[in-house]
Amino acid sequence: MEELNTGIFTHDGARQYLEREPDLYVDQLSTKIWTICDGVRRTLFIEADNSVIAFDTLATPGAARAYRKAIAAAIPGKTVQTIIYTHDHLDHAGFAADLAPEANIIADEMCAKVVGLRKAKGQLPPTQCLSGKRNRLTIDGFELTLLNPGPIHGTGNLSAYFEYEKILFSSDTLLPNARYGLLPDYHIWNLVRFIREFQQLDWTTFVPGRYEVTDRARFDKGCDFFIAVKASAQQAFAEFVPIWELDAMEAYVGSRLREQFGDLEGFDENIGLIALRIVHHYLMGGWGLEDTWNPGVLLADSLGPVNTNPIGPVVPEKAPIKARGERFGDSK
Amino acid sequence: MMADECQPGDSVLTEDMPCEHCGIFTLGGNIPIQGAWRDIAYTPVRDNIWSVSEGIYRSIFLKGHKGVVAFDTLTTPGTARAYAASVGRVFPRNPIHTIVYSHDHLDHTGYAEDMAPEAHIIAHELCDKVVRRRQSDGQLAATETFVDERKAFNIDGVDFELIYPGPTHGDGNIAAYFPQSKLLFMVDTVIPGVGYTFFPDWHLAPYVPVMKRLLSLDWDLFVPGHFWITDRQGFIDNLAYYDRMADIAQQAIFDDLDPNNFAEVQKYTEMNLRSEFGELFRFQEYCAMNLSRYMQHYLTGGWGIEGNWQPDTTPL
Repeated sequence: MEELNTGIFTHDGARQYLEREPDLYVDQLSTKIWTICDGVRRTLFIEADNSVIAFDTLATPGAARAYRKAIAAAIPGKTVQTIIYTHDHLDHAGFAADLAPEANIIADEMCAKVVGLRKAKGQLPPTQCLSGKRNRLTIDGFELTLLNPGPIHGTGNLSAYFEYEKILFSSDTLLPNARYGLLPDYHIWNLVRFIREFQQLDWTTFVPGRYEVTDRARFDKGCDFFIAVKASAQQAFAEFVPIWELDAMEAYVGSRLREQFGDLEGFDENIGLIALRIVHHYLMGGWGLEDTWNPGVLLADSLGPVNTNPIGPVVPEKAPIKARGERFGDSK
Repeated sequence: MMADECQPGDSVLTEDMPCEHCGIFTLGGNIPIQGAWRDIAYTPVRDNIWSVSEGIYRSIFLKGHKGVVAFDTLTTPGTARAYAASVGRVFPRNPIHTIVYSHDHLDHTGYAEDMAPEAHIIAHELCDKVVRRRQSDGQLAATETFVDERKAFNIDGVDFELIYPGPTHGDGNIAAYFPQSKLLFMVDTVIPGVGYTFFPDWHLAPYVPVMKRLLSLDWDLFVPGHFWITDRQGFIDNLAYYDRMADIAQQAIFDDLDPNNFAEVQKYTEMNLRSEFGELFRFQEYCAMNLSRYMQHYLTGGWGIEGNWQPDTTPL
């Protein structure tokens, strides 16, 4: 039986779940850019001169294989030779071994450190690491900009900006809805203040890491919603609401925000959980160094340097990847 | 003022109310609950060790020759003052001269400035790194840190050992070990009942193996950071809940349960977990959140460096 990439699952019953190939939905966003979704998670792939650049791998080995097949159907004759990890999480970037095991893999250096530490089965280590807030790359003739404004979700989260196509892709950061739930691995203190830097860029289409493609207006409303929940959750604490009770938080914050944000998908189902999670941010003070005003990554230095070797020969030499770190926006 | 416009360290004075330290709250204006008085229960535990609690949060303090070594500061400026008053009631001639931070979180260590602003503060270096960057209003930085796994202290005749066993919850979370009293104190790890809400800032991958290291020490009484004191078997049983939840969460994923559909998670919990865990304290409130959080752990792969740390599992 073929060895299965199991991520960090330890349970014997994982095979059926991991091997299943889900239905995927592909939409072309521009001449060279496609988006693909499994019904929940969403990502992008790009037709370069001689190859395909794929963001992420989707959530399971089966989904990664289905992703590869969908790419082959959309762009016949070209294979995935570059994978870009948006961040470290396995449900987005866990199965390069099943998508394109020989591909070059680009990631932020902090993402690479977590991937190296985790040693999940199927998640391949990056072959090129980026640092800094902004890296403009040319990969096999295709130009794009990768942005890491600071800790927002997961570790080493890279968003992609396509200047000519006016598209912004940011995985598991801001959602244009209210479907966050428990906000897993979100860095509450920094999410909005960093994500707002994207508003300075010239784009019209926003591709989130899950759910539907949207526009600038919904992105802006997503920012406003998040800020409003932060304020209302704090107010609940200030007014002696028992913040550890889901029903109490749902009632208090829901009633205050429903008029302005009740139209956001998932509002009624999730507002209590979102508020409960956020009020604990204020109660506890945030989680780790990533969640501070002047963020960093605790223990990162003790892990040593990551692989920063130049990218391998798969990308044609005439169009090497060039990385150039520079600041963008006004954040610290 | 918009919430996000406030700066860390802001403390807002109003004309008719005294200023309270606001932690990282950015509401602006005074926050009455921060200053609210809470009655504190204080109880002798063993030898010179006392425990304090306002019903939910718990900590310990110890009498020295000249003063008191207090762990943590409780939850708010008001509870920090009440904590100090309780210590003063038990030992009126012994001021708090030392505070030990269990970990970085404000609801446990956020208000030394209200409890004993001149005290010597001890913390693990990882905790202090976060405290210093956070710049929270009311949380003082440590005056002494340590980086090792274990460090013994004798302060004013009070003997104890501080132990950082590895990532568990929060940052630089340490256990306090009192070998002569066979007592272990550790905050926001083992807590009676199911896990708290969504296991906030728990590092689930290393958590159980790291906590089990503490079983290599000789103790029979465990003082947690919440609710009631337990014993060695209570500690072991509590860790077993985490192991079971890890197993159940994986099965729930294979059963196609969506952790983001909380109504369905609640139904799944009721159907599949009540028979096993229904008698545990706060099952009804938090077991579904526990399950959702554990499912997210397996789907995402753990969170950050601490959540993926390969722990030292050797005995302490």
